[in-house]
Amino acid sequence: MMSRVVGSLARYLALAFFAALVLYPLLLIVSTAVKDPLDVTADPFALFSSVHLQNFIDAWTLGGFGGYFWNTVLITALTLIGTLALSVLAGYALARLYFPGRNIVFLVFITGLMFPFFSVMIPLFYELRDIGLLGTKVGLVLVFIAGAGGFGLPIGVFLMRSFYMDLPEELADAARVDGANEFQVFWRVMLPLSGPGVAVLAVLVFFQTWNAFIQPLLYLPGSENQVLATGLYLFASGRTQEYELIAAGSLIMVVPVVVFFLIFQRLFVRGLTAGALK
Amino acid sequence: MKEAGTQTEGGGQALAPRRKRGFASVPALRRQQAYYGALFVVPGLIVYLIFMVYPFLDTIYLSFTNWNGVATSKDWVGLSNYARMFADGAALKAFANNVVWVILGTISPVVIGLFEALLVWSGARASLFFRVLFFLPFVLPLVVIGIVWQWIYNPLFGVVNKVLDGAGLEGVSRGWLADPHTALYAVLIAAIWGASGFCFLILHASLQNVDMSTVEASMIDGANWFQRAWSIVVPQIAPQLTMVTAVTLIGGFSVFDIIYVMTGGGPGNASEVLATYTYKTAFEQNEAGYGSALAMLITVLSLISAFVFVRVRERQR
Repeated sequence: MMSRVVGSLARYLALAFFAALVLYPLLLIVSTAVKDPLDVTADPFALFSSVHLQNFIDAWTLGGFGGYFWNTVLITALTLIGTLALSVLAGYALARLYFPGRNIVFLVFITGLMFPFFSVMIPLFYELRDIGLLGTKVGLVLVFIAGAGGFGLPIGVFLMRSFYMDLPEELADAARVDGANEFQVFWRVMLPLSGPGVAVLAVLVFFQTWNAFIQPLLYLPGSENQVLATGLYLFASGRTQEYELIAAGSLIMVVPVVVFFLIFQRLFVRGLTAGALK
Repeated sequence: MKEAGTQTEGGGQALAPRRKRGFASVPALRRQQAYYGALFVVPGLIVYLIFMVYPFLDTIYLSFTNWNGVATSKDWVGLSNYARMFADGAALKAFANNVVWVILGTISPVVIGLFEALLVWSGARASLFFRVLFFLPFVLPLVVIGIVWQWIYNPLFGVVNKVLDGAGLEGVSRGWLADPHTALYAVLIAAIWGASGFCFLILHASLQNVDMSTVEASMIDGANWFQRAWSIVVPQIAPQLTMVTAVTLIGGFSVFDIIYVMTGGGPGNASEVLATYTYKTAFEQNEAGYGSALAMLITVLSLISAFVFVRVRERQR
């Protein structure tokens, strides 16, 4: 009995220890983001010495984070639409439509799961430059869709193909008996059932596109196009005195991801486990 | 999780559709499937070929040239970029740092994440609070993690030096990121802080499938917490442990963001790794050829570890 009490006390102490280690940096960001600029010059990192919500407005306007935010939203939205649409189509074809060479096509797609970004980084830069897409949002979006950022077509095709494989063939047969052609089978029967598979993929793609750093750093230079990750980096490495605006900018970037993550946690774990090849 | 091999067999359904009344004839169905199959696959395939496959093949090609990113001619230099790598002190330093990074940066977050997951799982009060807290670092972008840890290491105001000074250890406190002896490890700790969140998330989820009757039986047998965790629970989540280890390890060969943000590989090349060195070689020194050879090294290291991971997982099945 005694040993059990001591044991659970030890466990709570261990929990508290890890919790403190994880919590401190998080509190430091929040505390700095709401600190009065005058306090920042005295001691920028004393926890919660003042509350000054004006920082968020200043970061959004003066710091330029409003612009970075909308750039990030646009790029993430386009990447999501492109990756989901192309993955659904290709995944469906590779799972349920017979055409010559489809096993090779599938193999080519999933090989991309194993290649790091650095295997394509250098030529991509010059390729984008030569076709005039360097420094454009479209160029970056295409890079993300192709999977160079980690989660794009390779994981999309992989996930959607296994999703469509698990749908019963009887559904398609029933539609065929009713005279549906193959496109109608896809469009009327299979596509409306795709929600769960698409959701898992969408969560992964959103998360990685929103947080991506090196791809926009390389392929989207120029101040008017910065996304939150690169904008934050440039701001922090340039004007190192304005900690409160850096922190407020960080929160502008982080809060949407955290909220999103809290809502879609389950889908996220499922996607990461299924895409374990990454 | 599905294995690719079994899926290929499952896909055979569509390959030989059962013939029923009212169906289009089999050849007509085949023609239709081939038509729509090609139509559906081609858009994605084009994007993928142009922005993944082609640049990868080009990386291989460039690694055999001395191209500087500007000149119109790309002169074939054979294996000399690869030979140069082994004589390049900076590349060897980056490789050595990367090895340290992969070893410590894999073991630590997996152990910490596992420990956290087991603690939360064994019926702690307020487990929802701890669960959310422990995975939060993983959700943060590495840029943000890098910035906030720069503050923690700040020589004047950072908490590390304040605590050391407060404990009378002024001699130990320093500019952790500016000192060549500590820079790599200081960045590594920040990265471990983030990666533990990932390990925690996956391992905690996998613990929900542990067979509780085995755990209860071991409690009746008088096993203590550690014995229970180690010999009853951990073997049941071995596949997820392998996966988390592999993902962290493979990612370790491509680590870039957090080092670039916190130290830029410095001071000097004290915290340089292969990815930051490749980036600088290709885009700051404009050595696209040599940079491509370095990129190939990262690629090969990642592929080898991915291959080992696949083999280990096959054996676990």
